[in-house]
Amino acid sequence: MLKNKITLASIVLLLVSGTAWAQDEVSPERKQAIDSLALEKVRDLSKYISIIGSKETPFSEANRVIERALELFMEGSQMGVSSINRKRVNYYGIKEYFERLMALNYDRVNIEWYNINYISDLVRQPDGKYVGVITIYQRFTGESDDGLKYVDVTKKDITVYVERKQTQIGGRIIGFWDVLLGDIRVTETRKG
Amino acid sequence: MFIAQVVCYAQPIGTYLGDERFMYAETKQVNQFFRRFNSEEDLSGKRLDAKSREFKNPEFRRKYIPMLFDNETGKIEEALKKDFIQDVTRKDQPKLLDFYGKDWFAEVKASFRYKGKVETVILFLSLEQEALGHKWVISNVYFKHFADLFFNEKDMAGKFIHPMSHELDFMNLIKVFRDGKNLEYYFDNEYKPDFRTLFLYEVKKGDLVFEAVDDVSFHFFQLDNWYFELTEFNRHTANSGWLISNLTKIPENQKDLLLKYIYYEK
Repeated sequence: MLKNKITLASIVLLLVSGTAWAQDEVSPERKQAIDSLALEKVRDLSKYISIIGSKETPFSEANRVIERALELFMEGSQMGVSSINRKRVNYYGIKEYFERLMALNYDRVNIEWYNINYISDLVRQPDGKYVGVITIYQRFTGESDDGLKYVDVTKKDITVYVERKQTQIGGRIIGFWDVLLGDIRVTETRKG
Repeated sequence: MFIAQVVCYAQPIGTYLGDERFMYAETKQVNQFFRRFNSEEDLSGKRLDAKSREFKNPEFRRKYIPMLFDNETGKIEEALKKDFIQDVTRKDQPKLLDFYGKDWFAEVKASFRYKGKVETVILFLSLEQEALGHKWVISNVYFKHFADLFFNEKDMAGKFIHPMSHELDFMNLIKVFRDGKNLEYYFDNEYKPDFRTLFLYEVKKGDLVFEAVDDVSFHFFQLDNWYFELTEFNRHTANSGWLISNLTKIPENQKDLLLKYIYYEK
Protein backbone atom coordinates (compact mmCIF):
# COMPACT_ATOMS: atom_id res chain seq x y z
CA MET A 1 0.00 0.00 0.00
CA LEU A 2 2.83 2.35 0.96
CA LYS A 3 4.54 1.59 -2.32
CA ASN A 4 1.36 2.42 -4.24
CA LYS A 5 1.09 5.72 -2.42
CA ILE A 6 4.66 6.59 -3.23
CA THR A 7 4.22 5.69 -6.89
CA LEU A 8 1.01 7.68 -7.17
CA ALA A 9 2.63 10.65 -5.47
CA SER A 10 5.55 10.37 -7.86
CA ILE A 11 3.26 10.20 -10.87
CA VAL A 12 1.43 13.30 -9.69
CA LEU A 13 4.75 15.05 -9.13
CA LEU A 14 5.78 14.32 -12.67
CA LEU A 15 2.43 15.27 -14.14
CA VAL A 16 2.42 18.58 -12.36
CA SER A 17 5.98 19.50 -13.12
CA GLY A 18 5.37 20.26 -16.78
CA THR A 19 2.80 19.75 -19.49
CA ALA A 20 3.73 21.59 -22.66
CA TRP A 21 6.63 19.71 -24.16
CA ALA A 22 7.16 16.78 -26.44
CA GLN A 23 5.69 13.61 -25.00
CA ASP A 24 8.79 11.44 -25.13
CA GLU A 25 11.54 13.98 -24.72
CA VAL A 26 13.11 14.69 -21.36
CA SER A 27 13.47 18.40 -20.69
CA PRO A 28 15.97 19.53 -18.02
CA GLU A 29 13.07 20.30 -15.65
CA ARG A 30 11.55 16.89 -16.26
CA LYS A 31 14.95 15.29 -15.79
CA GLN A 32 15.07 16.81 -12.31
CA ALA A 33 11.66 15.38 -11.48
CA ILE A 34 12.69 11.97 -12.81
CA ASP A 35 15.90 12.15 -10.77
CA SER A 36 13.81 12.71 -7.65
CA LEU A 37 11.58 9.76 -8.44
CA ALA A 38 14.56 7.51 -9.20
CA LEU A 39 16.28 8.61 -6.02
CA GLU A 40 13.12 7.82 -4.09
CA LYS A 41 13.21 4.26 -5.46
CA VAL A 42 16.88 3.96 -4.51
CA ARG A 43 16.06 5.26 -1.04
CA ASP A 44 13.33 2.61 -0.76
CA LEU A 45 15.84 -0.03 -1.84
CA SER A 46 18.43 1.09 0.70
CA LYS A 47 15.78 1.01 3.42
CA TYR A 48 14.75 -2.51 2.40
CA ILE A 49 18.37 -3.71 2.32
CA SER A 50 18.92 -2.41 5.87
CA ILE A 51 15.77 -4.21 7.07
CA ILE A 52 16.58 -7.48 5.27
CA GLY A 53 20.14 -7.48 6.62
CA SER A 54 19.18 -6.68 10.21
CA LYS A 55 19.25 -9.62 12.62
CA GLU A 56 16.36 -8.03 14.52
CA THR A 57 14.02 -8.49 11.55
CA PRO A 58 11.87 -11.63 11.98
CA PHE A 59 12.24 -14.19 9.17
CA SER A 60 8.68 -13.75 7.89
CA GLU A 61 9.00 -9.95 7.86
CA ALA A 62 12.33 -10.15 6.01
CA ASN A 63 10.73 -12.36 3.36
CA ARG A 64 7.87 -9.89 2.99
CA VAL A 65 10.34 -7.03 2.56
CA ILE A 66 12.28 -9.05 -0.05
CA GLU A 67 9.08 -9.35 -2.08
CA ARG A 68 8.53 -5.60 -1.79
CA ALA A 69 12.11 -4.87 -2.75
CA LEU A 70 11.84 -7.12 -5.81
CA GLU A 71 8.91 -5.01 -7.02
CA LEU A 72 11.33 -2.13 -7.51
CA PHE A 73 13.28 -4.07 -10.14
CA MET A 74 12.98 -5.01 -13.78
CA GLU A 75 12.71 -8.76 -14.21
CA GLY A 76 16.05 -10.53 -14.59
CA SER A 77 18.07 -7.83 -12.81
CA GLN A 78 21.39 -8.95 -11.35
CA MET A 79 23.97 -7.90 -8.80
CA GLY A 80 27.60 -7.93 -9.95
CA VAL A 81 29.93 -7.98 -6.94
CA SER A 82 33.70 -7.42 -6.85
CA SER A 83 36.19 -6.82 -4.06
CA ILE A 84 39.21 -4.55 -3.58
CA ASN A 85 41.69 -7.30 -4.30
CA ARG A 86 39.71 -9.01 -7.02
CA LYS A 87 38.19 -6.95 -9.80
CA ARG A 88 36.51 -10.01 -11.25
CA VAL A 89 32.75 -9.80 -10.90
CA ASN A 90 30.58 -12.46 -9.24
CA TYR A 91 26.99 -12.41 -10.40
CA TYR A 92 23.85 -13.00 -8.34
CA GLY A 93 20.17 -12.69 -9.13
CA ILE A 94 18.62 -9.87 -7.09
CA LYS A 95 16.49 -12.31 -5.08
CA GLU A 96 19.49 -14.54 -4.38
CA TYR A 97 21.44 -11.49 -3.21
CA PHE A 98 18.68 -10.53 -0.76
CA GLU A 99 18.41 -14.10 0.50
CA ARG A 100 22.17 -14.29 1.06
CA LEU A 101 22.01 -10.98 2.89
CA MET A 102 19.23 -12.31 5.13
CA ALA A 103 21.17 -15.49 5.89
CA LEU A 104 24.51 -13.84 6.81
CA ASN A 105 26.15 -15.60 9.69
CA TYR A 106 26.61 -12.68 12.10
CA ASP A 107 24.90 -12.05 15.41
CA ARG A 108 24.54 -8.37 14.67
CA VAL A 109 24.45 -6.63 11.30
CA ASN A 110 24.32 -2.90 10.75
CA ILE A 111 23.90 -1.44 7.28
CA GLU A 112 24.27 2.32 6.95
CA TRP A 113 24.14 4.57 3.90
CA TYR A 114 26.40 7.53 3.26
CA ASN A 115 24.85 10.89 2.69
CA ILE A 116 26.07 11.08 -0.87
CA ASN A 117 24.73 10.09 -4.25
CA TYR A 118 25.54 10.75 -7.87
CA ILE A 119 22.97 10.72 -10.65
CA SER A 120 24.07 10.28 -14.26
CA ASP A 121 22.49 11.74 -17.35
CA LEU A 122 19.63 9.79 -18.88
CA VAL A 123 20.51 8.15 -22.19
CA ARG A 124 17.89 6.83 -24.56
CA GLN A 125 18.02 3.19 -25.64
CA PRO A 126 16.98 1.90 -29.07
CA ASP A 127 13.55 0.88 -27.65
CA GLY A 128 12.84 4.43 -26.48
CA LYS A 129 13.29 3.82 -22.75
CA TYR A 130 15.80 5.97 -20.93
CA VAL A 131 18.56 4.51 -18.81
CA GLY A 132 20.72 6.12 -16.15
CA VAL A 133 22.88 5.13 -13.19
CA ILE A 134 22.69 6.27 -9.57
CA THR A 135 25.74 5.75 -7.39
CA ILE A 136 25.44 5.38 -3.62
CA TYR A 137 27.72 4.14 -0.83
CA GLN A 138 27.00 1.68 1.97
CA ARG A 139 28.84 0.77 5.17
CA PHE A 140 28.29 -2.78 6.38
CA THR A 141 29.17 -3.95 9.87
CA GLY A 142 28.81 -7.57 10.93
CA GLU A 143 29.61 -8.67 14.49
CA SER A 144 29.69 -12.07 16.12
CA ASP A 145 29.22 -12.78 19.83
CA ASP A 146 32.77 -14.08 19.99
CA GLY A 147 34.03 -10.57 19.22
CA LEU A 148 34.72 -10.93 15.51
CA LYS A 149 33.87 -7.80 13.56
CA TYR A 150 33.74 -7.30 9.79
CA VAL A 151 33.34 -3.85 8.25
CA ASP A 152 33.33 -2.87 4.59
CA VAL A 153 32.34 0.09 2.48
CA THR A 154 30.81 -0.62 -0.90
CA LYS A 155 29.91 1.55 -3.84
CA LYS A 156 26.65 0.60 -5.51
CA ASP A 157 26.02 1.68 -9.11
CA ILE A 158 22.32 1.14 -9.69
CA THR A 159 20.78 1.05 -13.16
CA VAL A 160 17.61 3.09 -13.48
CA TYR A 161 15.15 2.60 -16.35
CA VAL A 162 12.71 5.38 -17.12
CA GLU A 163 9.77 4.74 -19.37
CA ARG A 164 6.90 6.83 -20.62
CA LYS A 165 3.63 5.08 -19.78
CA GLN A 166 -0.06 5.88 -19.84
CA THR A 167 -2.79 5.42 -17.27
CA GLN A 168 -6.47 6.21 -17.15
CA ILE A 169 -7.61 8.54 -14.38
CA GLY A 170 -11.27 9.56 -14.32
CA GLY A 171 -11.75 8.55 -17.94
CA ARG A 172 -8.79 10.59 -19.13
CA ILE A 173 -5.66 9.00 -20.51
CA ILE A 174 -2.68 10.57 -18.84
CA GLY A 175 0.96 10.00 -19.64
CA PHE A 176 3.52 9.61 -16.89
CA TRP A 177 7.12 8.53 -16.42
CA ASP A 178 7.69 5.28 -14.59
CA VAL A 179 10.99 4.28 -12.99
CA LEU A 180 12.29 0.75 -12.40
CA LEU A 181 15.65 -0.35 -11.06
CA GLY A 182 17.90 -2.73 -13.00
CA ASP A 183 21.32 -4.36 -12.59
CA ILE A 184 23.46 -3.24 -9.68
CA ARG A 185 27.24 -3.21 -9.68
CA VAL A 186 28.66 -3.55 -6.17
CA THR A 187 32.31 -2.56 -5.71
CA GLU A 188 34.06 -2.96 -2.39
CA THR A 189 35.96 0.27 -1.82
CA ARG A 190 37.40 -0.28 1.62
CA LYS A 191 37.58 -2.73 4.45
CA GLY A 192 36.98 -1.02 7.76
CA MET B 1 41.10 19.31 -3.45
CA PHE B 2 38.18 21.65 -3.61
CA ILE B 3 35.74 19.00 -4.74
CA ALA B 4 36.25 17.36 -1.38
CA GLN B 5 35.05 20.41 0.49
CA VAL B 6 31.54 20.66 -0.88
CA VAL B 7 28.30 19.68 0.75
CA CYS B 8 25.72 17.30 -0.61
CA TYR B 9 23.13 18.96 -2.81
CA ALA B 10 20.63 16.20 -3.38
CA GLN B 11 18.09 14.52 -1.21
CA PRO B 12 20.06 12.32 1.14
CA ILE B 13 20.02 8.55 0.80
CA GLY B 14 21.61 8.06 4.20
CA THR B 15 23.42 10.00 6.89
CA TYR B 16 26.86 11.54 7.31
CA LEU B 17 29.17 8.76 8.38
CA GLY B 18 32.22 10.96 8.42
CA ASP B 19 33.93 9.43 5.42
CA GLU B 20 32.30 11.32 2.58
CA ARG B 21 35.26 13.54 1.71
CA PHE B 22 36.89 11.03 -0.63
CA MET B 23 33.57 9.98 -2.09
CA TYR B 24 32.79 13.53 -3.23
CA ALA B 25 36.21 13.85 -4.80
CA GLU B 26 36.06 10.46 -6.52
CA THR B 27 35.05 10.53 -10.18
CA LYS B 28 32.27 8.08 -9.52
CA GLN B 29 31.07 7.35 -13.06
CA VAL B 30 32.43 7.69 -16.58
CA ASN B 31 29.47 10.03 -17.02
CA GLN B 32 30.91 12.22 -14.28
CA PHE B 33 34.30 12.18 -16.00
CA PHE B 34 32.65 13.68 -19.11
CA ARG B 35 30.79 16.27 -17.07
CA ARG B 36 33.82 17.27 -15.02
CA PHE B 37 36.06 17.39 -18.09
CA ASN B 38 33.63 19.69 -19.89
CA SER B 39 32.59 21.62 -16.75
CA GLU B 40 28.96 20.61 -17.05
CA GLU B 41 28.34 20.08 -13.35
CA ASP B 42 29.07 22.01 -10.19
CA LEU B 43 31.33 20.90 -7.40
CA SER B 44 28.60 18.91 -5.73
CA GLY B 45 27.83 16.95 -8.89
CA LYS B 46 24.70 18.87 -9.83
CA ARG B 47 24.18 19.58 -13.52
CA LEU B 48 24.96 23.15 -14.50
CA ASP B 49 22.43 25.17 -16.42
CA ALA B 50 23.70 25.65 -19.98
CA LYS B 51 23.28 29.41 -19.48
CA SER B 52 25.32 29.57 -16.29
CA ARG B 53 28.74 31.24 -16.25
CA GLU B 54 30.45 28.06 -15.09
CA PHE B 55 29.05 25.87 -17.89
CA LYS B 56 31.94 24.75 -20.11
CA ASN B 57 33.91 27.66 -18.71
CA PRO B 58 37.64 27.37 -19.63
CA GLU B 59 38.78 28.67 -16.22
CA PHE B 60 36.68 26.10 -14.40
CA ARG B 61 37.94 23.38 -16.71
CA ARG B 62 41.53 24.38 -15.97
CA LYS B 63 40.76 23.73 -12.29
CA TYR B 64 38.82 20.52 -12.85
CA ILE B 65 40.95 18.70 -15.41
CA PRO B 66 44.16 18.38 -13.31
CA MET B 67 42.08 16.36 -10.82
CA LEU B 68 40.97 14.00 -13.57
CA PHE B 69 44.44 12.49 -13.94
CA ASP B 70 45.81 9.58 -11.98
CA ASN B 71 48.16 11.73 -9.90
CA GLU B 72 49.46 8.97 -7.65
CA THR B 73 51.38 6.59 -9.86
CA GLY B 74 53.34 9.37 -11.59
CA LYS B 75 53.00 7.70 -14.97
CA ILE B 76 52.18 10.90 -16.83
CA GLU B 77 54.72 13.71 -16.97
CA GLU B 78 53.62 17.02 -15.47
CA ALA B 79 54.76 18.97 -18.53
CA LEU B 80 52.62 16.79 -20.80
CA LYS B 81 49.58 17.24 -18.57
CA LYS B 82 50.10 20.99 -18.60
CA ASP B 83 50.38 21.03 -22.37
CA PHE B 84 47.19 18.97 -22.65
CA ILE B 85 45.20 21.14 -20.26
CA GLN B 86 46.33 24.31 -21.97
CA ASP B 87 45.37 22.93 -25.37
CA VAL B 88 41.92 21.58 -24.47
CA THR B 89 40.88 24.69 -22.51
CA ARG B 90 41.84 27.31 -25.08
CA LYS B 91 39.25 30.06 -25.10
CA ASP B 92 39.14 30.35 -28.89
CA GLN B 93 39.01 26.61 -29.66
CA PRO B 94 38.15 24.56 -26.59
CA LYS B 95 38.26 20.77 -26.98
CA LEU B 96 35.33 19.05 -25.32
CA LEU B 97 34.30 15.44 -24.95
CA ASP B 98 31.08 14.21 -26.50
CA PHE B 99 29.45 11.08 -25.11
CA TYR B 100 27.60 10.52 -28.38
CA GLY B 101 30.58 11.43 -30.51
CA LYS B 102 32.75 8.87 -32.26
CA ASP B 103 36.38 7.98 -31.57
CA TRP B 104 36.05 6.64 -28.06
CA PHE B 105 35.48 3.04 -27.09
CA ALA B 106 35.66 0.56 -24.24
CA GLU B 107 38.15 -2.27 -23.76
CA VAL B 108 36.70 -5.09 -21.67
CA LYS B 109 38.88 -7.91 -20.41
CA ALA B 110 36.59 -10.84 -19.79
CA SER B 111 37.09 -14.42 -18.64
CA PHE B 112 35.75 -17.21 -20.80
CA ARG B 113 36.04 -20.95 -20.34
CA TYR B 114 37.80 -22.38 -23.41
CA LYS B 115 38.67 -26.05 -23.77
CA GLY B 116 38.36 -26.57 -20.04
CA LYS B 117 40.52 -23.60 -19.02
CA VAL B 118 39.67 -20.02 -18.03
CA GLU B 119 41.12 -17.66 -20.64
CA THR B 120 41.01 -13.89 -21.20
CA VAL B 121 39.17 -12.53 -24.21
CA ILE B 122 39.37 -8.81 -24.94
CA LEU B 123 36.20 -7.23 -26.24
CA PHE B 124 36.16 -3.73 -27.71
CA LEU B 125 32.80 -1.99 -27.51
CA SER B 126 31.63 1.26 -29.04
CA LEU B 127 28.41 3.27 -28.97
CA GLU B 128 26.12 3.00 -31.94
CA GLN B 129 22.91 4.79 -32.74
CA GLU B 130 19.86 2.65 -33.45
CA ALA B 131 16.17 3.42 -33.75
CA LEU B 132 15.21 5.77 -30.91
CA GLY B 133 18.48 5.74 -29.03
CA HIS B 134 21.95 4.32 -28.60
CA LYS B 135 23.51 1.02 -27.64
CA TRP B 136 26.97 -0.43 -27.01
CA VAL B 137 28.09 -2.90 -29.67
CA ILE B 138 31.04 -5.30 -29.84
CA SER B 139 33.19 -3.72 -32.51
CA ASN B 140 36.34 -5.85 -32.19
CA VAL B 141 37.63 -8.93 -30.41
CA TYR B 142 41.11 -10.13 -29.46
CA PHE B 143 41.83 -13.65 -28.26
CA LYS B 144 45.41 -14.89 -28.07
CA HIS B 145 44.46 -18.35 -29.28
CA PHE B 146 43.01 -16.82 -32.46
CA ALA B 147 46.02 -14.57 -32.98
CA ASP B 148 48.38 -17.53 -32.60
CA LEU B 149 46.66 -19.20 -35.54
CA PHE B 150 47.57 -16.56 -38.10
CA PHE B 151 50.69 -15.20 -39.79
CA ASN B 152 53.13 -16.63 -37.31
CA GLU B 153 55.43 -18.30 -39.83
CA LYS B 154 58.72 -16.43 -40.23
CA ASP B 155 59.78 -18.22 -43.39
CA MET B 156 57.31 -17.43 -46.15
CA ALA B 157 59.48 -18.90 -48.90
CA GLY B 158 57.50 -20.98 -51.38
CA LYS B 159 54.17 -20.19 -49.73
CA PHE B 160 52.26 -19.29 -52.86
CA ILE B 161 50.30 -20.98 -55.64
CA HIS B 162 52.43 -20.48 -58.72
CA PRO B 163 50.95 -18.48 -61.59
CA MET B 164 50.63 -21.37 -64.05
CA SER B 165 48.71 -23.60 -61.66
CA HIS B 166 45.54 -23.10 -63.67
CA GLU B 167 46.98 -25.15 -66.50
CA LEU B 168 47.10 -28.18 -64.20
CA ASP B 169 43.60 -27.72 -62.82
CA PHE B 170 45.18 -26.41 -59.61
CA MET B 171 46.32 -29.92 -58.76
CA ASN B 172 48.95 -28.36 -56.45
CA LEU B 173 46.21 -27.37 -54.00
CA ILE B 174 46.88 -30.72 -52.38
CA LYS B 175 50.25 -29.35 -51.21
CA VAL B 176 48.66 -26.10 -50.05
CA PHE B 177 46.21 -27.91 -47.79
CA ARG B 178 48.89 -30.22 -46.49
CA ASP B 179 50.41 -26.99 -45.18
CA GLY B 180 47.09 -26.18 -43.44
CA LYS B 181 48.70 -24.34 -40.53
CA ASN B 182 49.95 -21.69 -42.92
CA LEU B 183 46.92 -21.51 -45.20
CA GLU B 184 46.50 -17.76 -44.67
CA TYR B 185 49.69 -17.08 -46.69
CA TYR B 186 47.90 -18.41 -49.78
CA PHE B 187 45.13 -15.82 -49.42
CA ASP B 188 45.05 -12.45 -51.18
CA ASN B 189 47.05 -9.54 -49.80
CA GLU B 190 43.94 -7.83 -48.47
CA TYR B 191 42.99 -10.78 -46.30
CA LYS B 192 42.73 -10.02 -42.59
CA PRO B 193 41.40 -12.63 -40.17
CA ASP B 194 38.13 -11.56 -38.60
CA PHE B 195 38.32 -12.48 -34.92
CA ARG B 196 34.73 -11.41 -34.35
CA THR B 197 33.46 -14.16 -36.65
CA LEU B 198 35.78 -16.73 -35.07
CA PHE B 199 34.59 -15.59 -31.65
CA LEU B 200 30.93 -15.90 -32.65
CA TYR B 201 31.60 -19.34 -34.08
CA GLU B 202 33.29 -20.59 -30.91
CA VAL B 203 30.59 -19.14 -28.65
CA LYS B 204 27.77 -20.53 -30.77
CA LYS B 205 29.46 -23.94 -30.85
CA GLY B 206 29.61 -23.79 -27.05
CA ASP B 207 33.42 -23.93 -26.91
CA LEU B 208 33.80 -20.42 -25.48
CA VAL B 209 31.61 -19.80 -22.44
CA PHE B 210 31.43 -16.39 -20.75
CA GLU B 211 32.42 -16.33 -17.08
CA ALA B 212 32.89 -12.74 -15.94
CA VAL B 213 34.12 -9.25 -16.66
CA ASP B 214 37.57 -8.75 -15.12
CA ASP B 215 38.55 -5.23 -16.10
CA VAL B 216 37.30 -2.24 -18.08
CA SER B 217 39.07 0.78 -19.52
CA PHE B 218 38.25 3.39 -22.17
CA HIS B 219 40.29 4.76 -25.06
CA PHE B 220 39.70 8.32 -26.23
CA PHE B 221 40.78 9.50 -29.67
CA GLN B 222 38.18 12.27 -29.76
CA LEU B 223 40.42 15.24 -29.11
CA ASP B 224 42.55 16.41 -32.03
CA ASN B 225 46.20 15.43 -31.63
CA TRP B 226 45.63 13.65 -28.32
CA TYR B 227 44.96 10.15 -27.10
CA PHE B 228 44.20 9.20 -23.52
CA GLU B 229 43.10 6.15 -21.60
CA LEU B 230 40.56 6.20 -18.80
CA THR B 231 40.91 3.67 -15.96
CA GLU B 232 39.10 3.19 -12.68
CA PHE B 233 41.27 3.59 -9.56
CA ASN B 234 39.66 2.01 -6.54
CA ARG B 235 41.62 3.52 -3.65
CA HIS B 236 40.85 5.42 -0.50
CA THR B 237 42.17 8.83 -1.54
CA ALA B 238 40.73 11.94 -3.13
CA ASN B 239 42.42 10.97 -6.41
CA SER B 240 40.23 7.97 -7.18
CA GLY B 241 37.55 6.71 -9.53
CA TRP B 242 37.66 7.15 -13.32
CA LEU B 243 40.90 8.96 -14.12
CA ILE B 244 43.22 9.52 -17.07
CA SER B 245 45.87 6.82 -16.73
CA ASN B 246 47.70 7.32 -19.99
CA LEU B 247 48.20 10.40 -22.17
CA THR B 248 49.89 10.72 -25.55
CA LYS B 249 50.29 13.68 -27.84
CA ILE B 250 49.92 12.22 -31.31
CA PRO B 251 49.33 13.76 -34.75
CA GLU B 252 46.00 12.85 -36.28
CA ASN B 253 47.65 10.97 -39.15
CA GLN B 254 49.43 8.64 -36.73
CA LYS B 255 46.43 7.67 -34.64
CA ASP B 256 45.79 4.62 -36.84
CA LEU B 257 49.10 3.12 -35.71
CA LEU B 258 48.20 3.55 -32.07
CA LEU B 259 44.76 2.11 -32.72
CA LYS B 260 46.35 -0.99 -34.28
CA TYR B 261 48.53 -1.35 -31.21
CA ILE B 262 45.51 -1.14 -28.91
CA TYR B 263 43.68 -3.71 -31.04
CA TYR B 264 46.72 -6.05 -30.78
CA GLU B 265 47.02 -6.06 -34.55
CA LYS B 266 50.30 -7.21 -36.07
